[in-house]
Amino acid sequence: MNNIYLRDIFRGIVTDNPTFRLVLGMCPVLAITTFMINGLGMGVATAAVLICSNVVISSLRRFIPEQVRIPCFIVIIASFVTIIEMLLKAFQPNLYEALGVFIPLIVVNCIILGRAEAFASKQPVLRSLFDGIGIGLGFTIALLIISTLREVIGSGTILAETAAVTQLFGPNFEPMRLFALPPGAFILLGLLLGGMNFIFKRLNVK
Amino acid sequence: MRNILRLALTLAVVGIVSGALLTAVHNWTAPIIAAREAEDYMKALREFFPALSDVKTEEAEGEKYDLIYDASGNLIGVVATAQQQGYGGLITFNLAVDSAGKIIGMRVISHAETPGIGDVVTTPDFQGQFIGKTFEDPIEIGTDVHTVSGATVSTSAMIGAVRRTLETIAYSYLSFEEEVIDITAVPDGTYRGTGRGAFDNITVEVTVEGGIITEIKVVAQSETPTYFAESYPLIPERIMAEQSLDIDTKTGATMSAEGIVAAVRDALQKALEGGDETGGETDE
Repeated sequence: MNNIYLRDIFRGIVTDNPTFRLVLGMCPVLAITTFMINGLGMGVATAAVLICSNVVISSLRRFIPEQVRIPCFIVIIASFVTIIEMLLKAFQPNLYEALGVFIPLIVVNCIILGRAEAFASKQPVLRSLFDGIGIGLGFTIALLIISTLREVIGSGTILAETAAVTQLFGPNFEPMRLFALPPGAFILLGLLLGGMNFIFKRLNVK
Repeated sequence: MRNILRLALTLAVVGIVSGALLTAVHNWTAPIIAAREAEDYMKALREFFPALSDVKTEEAEGEKYDLIYDASGNLIGVVATAQQQGYGGLITFNLAVDSAGKIIGMRVISHAETPGIGDVVTTPDFQGQFIGKTFEDPIEIGTDVHTVSGATVSTSAMIGAVRRTLETIAYSYLSFEEEVIDITAVPDGTYRGTGRGAFDNITVEVTVEGGIITEIKVVAQSETPTYFAESYPLIPERIMAEQSLDIDTKTGATMSAEGIVAAVRDALQKALEGGDETGGETDE
């Protein structure tokens, strides 16, 4: 019984990882992963919206007629995003500053609409909840991997913009600025996707 | 028909519930956000001026000036909240100037510069070069302040903004008098000068005949076209009508307008120093 939920979570993190396997929602992946803390913040914010919208959309799935489902989904998702934005601004102002315009853009993140359409609108509430947790975790982990690599290579620090900021290299180290910029994110993402495909092919996971 | 009603009703219900929820959260968080921002700002003011006891706010042309008074009611400084177009968007910053016209602090409140490049404008390394500069210092790129290579647009925009804000504070709130240029003493000729507009330098050619400005031509600018169309040719007209640089620059494009005035001033100053004649007379 528990297995099906655990499998939903595992599927979201590994086999259906939104960034590395489904290649969805690339805009924030490329744009905000300059520092680890930004990647973590964006991941958690997106996961929170995804979990809330999955649960609400799943519980309303019999009530919402098929013809108007997309506008309803968008209104629900946009409401959660705006709530998260106001909460961040009130209680986590530094994170709010760092994520900037990408918070409102969570609305059009295709992972969320994609999960609403492909999963939550057809599955029971509990499974949708775990799907949201799984996909949200998968997205957060992917953002963390990319942002950590970009921060270390592109800025030579770890945990920048937090109290625990550490310079990893000596004072003469010249960080590879390219990786702090969007082209570097593209290159890194390409390498990571290639690596993942290689591993999954070896393991024969479809 | 009944189906359409059901569709409309569903959307309406979803919309109303969402709207109610948002209103509730907004009413809850808005005071917290406002209080936090005000608190942040007061903390910054106290850091700039530890003797602060009273603040009087004046707003002019979308920029905010906070006049800081000590316990005995003396003006001890001014903190400006100003905006400048950077590379990625508007940079909003505070500039704290003491009563002697000396910059004692600055902080960038919000910006949209490129992370890792243009965001050097927020670093103490870059901002530090302004601290201690007074109104008498040139604050000119290459002379006493420097841009950061790789982030030339962001840093030169910031330098221009600091200069402009410092001048506004000095002339409007501290009793500094703008140097009056005696146009009648300017020898006949056409002179070229530059001034900082909203984005970049504006270059003008000023023709003086018999101690009167007869023509002001903008020869190079990169202002926003729609805004610039508003301020030009209004400003040259006003300068020529009054034969003075002490004119009203409120045009809807104040930054461009002030850039033109600064450029004309620069040209006339050079003329009085006896240099930089363009030889424009041969063009006529």
